[in-house]
Amino acid sequence: MAEQPILEVENLHVDFALHTGTVSAVKGVSFSLSKGETLALVGESGSGKSVTALSILQLLPPVARYPQGSIRYDGQEMLGARPGTLQTIRGNRVAMVFQEPMTSLNPLQTVEQQVAEVLTEHRGMDRKEARARVLELFRLVGIPDAERRLSAYPHELSGGQRQRVMIAMALACEPDVLIADEPTTALDVTIQAQIMALLKDLKQRFGMAMLFITHDLGIVHHFADRVCVMRLGEVVEQGSTREVFANPQHPYTRELLDAEPHGHKEPPPEDAPVLLEARDVKVWFPIRGGWFSRVTGHVKAVDRISLTLREGQTLGIVGESGSGKSTLGKAILKLLDSDGRIRFEGAAIDGLSPLQMKPLRRKMQVVFQDPFGSLSPRMTIGEVIAEGLKVHEPLMSARQREAAVIQALEEVAIDPGLRNRYPHEFSGGQRQRIAIARAMVLKPKFLLLDEPTSALDRSVQVKVVDLLKALQRKYGLTYLFISHDLAVVRAMADEVIVMQHGRVVEHGRAEQIFHHPRQDYTRQLLAASFDLELTDGARVA
Amino acid sequence: MLSYAFKRLAQSIPTLFIVITISFFLMRLAPGGPFDGERKLPPEIEANILAAYNLDKPLYWQFFDYLGGILQGDFGPSFKYKDFTVSDLIWAGFPVSLELGMWAMLLGVVFGVSIGCYAALKQNTRLDYLMMGGAMAGIAIPNFVMAPILTLVFGVYLSWLPVGGWDSGAVANKVLPVIALALPQIAYIARMTRGSMIEVMGSHFIRTARAKGLSERKVVRRHALKSALLPVVSYLGPATAGIITGSVVIEQIFGIPGIGRYFVQAALNRDYTLVMGTVVFYGALIILFNLVVDLIYGLLDPQIRYDD
Repeated sequence: MAEQPILEVENLHVDFALHTGTVSAVKGVSFSLSKGETLALVGESGSGKSVTALSILQLLPPVARYPQGSIRYDGQEMLGARPGTLQTIRGNRVAMVFQEPMTSLNPLQTVEQQVAEVLTEHRGMDRKEARARVLELFRLVGIPDAERRLSAYPHELSGGQRQRVMIAMALACEPDVLIADEPTTALDVTIQAQIMALLKDLKQRFGMAMLFITHDLGIVHHFADRVCVMRLGEVVEQGSTREVFANPQHPYTRELLDAEPHGHKEPPPEDAPVLLEARDVKVWFPIRGGWFSRVTGHVKAVDRISLTLREGQTLGIVGESGSGKSTLGKAILKLLDSDGRIRFEGAAIDGLSPLQMKPLRRKMQVVFQDPFGSLSPRMTIGEVIAEGLKVHEPLMSARQREAAVIQALEEVAIDPGLRNRYPHEFSGGQRQRIAIARAMVLKPKFLLLDEPTSALDRSVQVKVVDLLKALQRKYGLTYLFISHDLAVVRAMADEVIVMQHGRVVEHGRAEQIFHHPRQDYTRQLLAASFDLELTDGARVA
Repeated sequence: MLSYAFKRLAQSIPTLFIVITISFFLMRLAPGGPFDGERKLPPEIEANILAAYNLDKPLYWQFFDYLGGILQGDFGPSFKYKDFTVSDLIWAGFPVSLELGMWAMLLGVVFGVSIGCYAALKQNTRLDYLMMGGAMAGIAIPNFVMAPILTLVFGVYLSWLPVGGWDSGAVANKVLPVIALALPQIAYIARMTRGSMIEVMGSHFIRTARAKGLSERKVVRRHALKSALLPVVSYLGPATAGIITGSVVIEQIFGIPGIGRYFVQAALNRDYTLVMGTVVFYGALIILFNLVVDLIYGLLDPQIRYDD
C-alpha cells in the first residue's frame, strides 16, 4: 500500500492558550496516510488524538496555536493556509465525520438541505440535481425509506441514522481522505457494528484513504491497515496493525492491549439465602395529551420482570439504550414508583413509604454511571462520604466518622490524605472509586451498579472491575450490575438478564448466555461486541 | 396548533381574572377618591354623586358589577373625563401608543440584533467591550433619566427636535420618545444576541458547517443566525411588556396623548374605571402577544410541536 502519501503530518505541535496558561495537547506527532489506506489513531482520553484530527482541517477553536510542524494534503500546506484554500479542501477533498451525531447536525434545517449544501457549494449543482444526488447518497449509506427522510429534521432521526446522514454528507463529493473521529462511540453496539461495516464497504468502493480516531482496539483490529498509538500528546508506537497487535513494542501499547476486562465470576452456593426478590415489576410511564392532559397511552419502560438475587451473587443486566435496564434498577431500589412485588431480606418492601425505606437504604446502595455529575461539586470528598453516616448513624462522633471515611478511602485505594479535596481535582476513575467508597462506608449488603464503568477508559475500567470484585469477595456483597458493555458484564456477573424494549429477552447463567445464547437478539449483541466482522451487512431494526 | 392556541386563550381567562381582582382592590386601598377636591363638597351632593356611580354600594357589589360590565365589553364611564366612556379614551389613545411602541420595538430588534451579532463575532476585542459597555449603561439608566437628557441635548441645546408635544403626529415629535423607549430594548437585545451567538458559534453543528467548506460569512448567515435569534424571539413577549410600561413614563414626560398618559393621570385622580380599563386592556394585550410569540417560535424551531 506504500504509495505516495496523500496526507502528511510532520512534527505537529498544538497548544491551547487558556487564561490559566498554555497547555500543550499535541507534542511532535508525525504520520502519513497513503491513498486507499486506513490509519487508526488510538489512545485514551486526553491523548490528543481528536485534537490532531481536528487540526488537519483547521477546525479547532481560535485558542489553539500551532507553534511548530506541518500538515500537508497532496503537498499543500494546511497550517496557516488562506481561508479560501481551506474552504476548497474542506468537505470536498478531505471530509470529516464527528463523534457527536446528536449535535453535529443543524437542528433547524432538514437533512436534505444540509447534505445538499455541500453539493451546491463544491459542485455548483442546482436544487434538483442536488436532491437527486442526496437521495442516491442516503440510499448508499442505508437510510431506510430514504425519500421520505429527505425532509426530516435531525431530531426526528435516531443516533445511528444521524450518523449515516453525517457520513452521506462527508461522502457527497467523493473525498480523497475521510477523517472519522470516534464515529461510533456515542452509538449502541449493534448500530456501531453496522456503521463500521458501512464505512469499510464505502471506503473500498470509493478508494478513499481513511484516518480513523478511536479508543476501541477491537475496531482497530478489524478495520485499520496501520495504527498509531498515542499517549499524552505523543505517538508512542506506529506500525502495521498486524505487527502492533502481535508484537507490541511499547509498554503502553501492551497495557492497552491487555486492558480487556478478564476473568469470570463463580456463582454463589446453591443454598445461599435469597437477598432480594422481585416479581412482575412494571414501570409504565403515562403519555399525556389533549385537553386537561388525559392519559392517552403508556411507555412500557419495564414490563413485568422478575428476578431473584442470592447473597454474594452478581446479576448482570445488559441491553441497549432505551431497553429499560436503568429504570428496572431504580424500581427495585424503590427510587422510582413501580407495580409488582419486591422483597428484601424476606420482607416485602413494595408498599413501604420513603420514610419506612430509610433504615433499609444503608443496606442497599447505588453507584451511578456519571462520575462527574453524581458527586456534589461543593462538598469535599470526605464530606460526600461522611454524609451517609450522618443520616444513618447520627450518634457517631466526628472522630469515628473520620476514621470510617479514612477506612473507606483506603478500601478503594485512594490516599485518605486527599479527603479534604473537591471532586473536580480527581480523574474519572478516581471519582468512580470515591463513589464506591461513598456507598461502601455504610457497609451495605446490596449494591446497584448502574453503568459504573461506562464513562471510563478501558485501562481504568479494568481496575474498577477488579476493585468491585475484590470488595465483593471480602464482604460477600450482592451486586445488580447494569451495563451495555458485554465485556465488562462477562467479567463481573455470574447470571445475566438480556433486556430489550422493557422485556426480558433471555435470562440465564453467564456462561450459558455468553457461550450458548438461545435468542437471536443475544447473538446479535454478542457478535456486535466481541466480533465485529460477524455482523457485516447485518441489519437490526 | 390551532387547538393549542385556543387552549392558551382559555388559560388566559383565569390570569386576566387575577389581574382584574388584584388591581381592583389595590386601587380601592389607595387613600382618597375620584371626587375629592381642594374644596370639600357638601355632604348631600357628594352622596348624590357617589350614588350615581354606585360608589355607595358595598365593595364586593361594585366588584361583581364591574366584572359583569367587562363580560359585556363595557368598561364603564370615566370619572374625570365627563361624557367619555373608558373605551372611548382607550381607543383614542391606543393608536398613538401603538405607533410609538411599534417603532421602539423595530429599532430595538434591528439595532439590538446587529450590535449583538457584531460584538459576538468580534468577541473580546475593544469594539466588543465598547459596545457591551454601552449596552450595560443602556440597561442601567432608567428611561425617566434618559428622556430628560435627550430632551436637554437635542431639544434645548441643539434645538434640532421639539422637546415635547405630539403635534398631530409630526415625525419630528416622535423621534425622541421613540429613541428613549427603544434604548433599553436595544441594549438588552444586544447583550442577549451576543451571548447566544457566542454559544451557537461554539456548537458542534457550526463545526460541521465549517468542515463542509463554507466561508465564515455563510456559516454565520445560513447556520448560526437563526439558532442565535431563537432566544431573542422568545424575549419579544417580555419586551412588549417592557415597552408598554416604558411608554407610561415616556408619554408623561413628552406630553404625548397616548394610553400611558391617561393611565398616569387616572391613577393620580383616582379615576377608578379608567385605571382598571387600561390595566385590563394592556393585560390582555401582553397575554395575546406572548401567545403570538410562542406560536412564531414554534414555526421557527422544528423541535417544538404544538400538537396538543
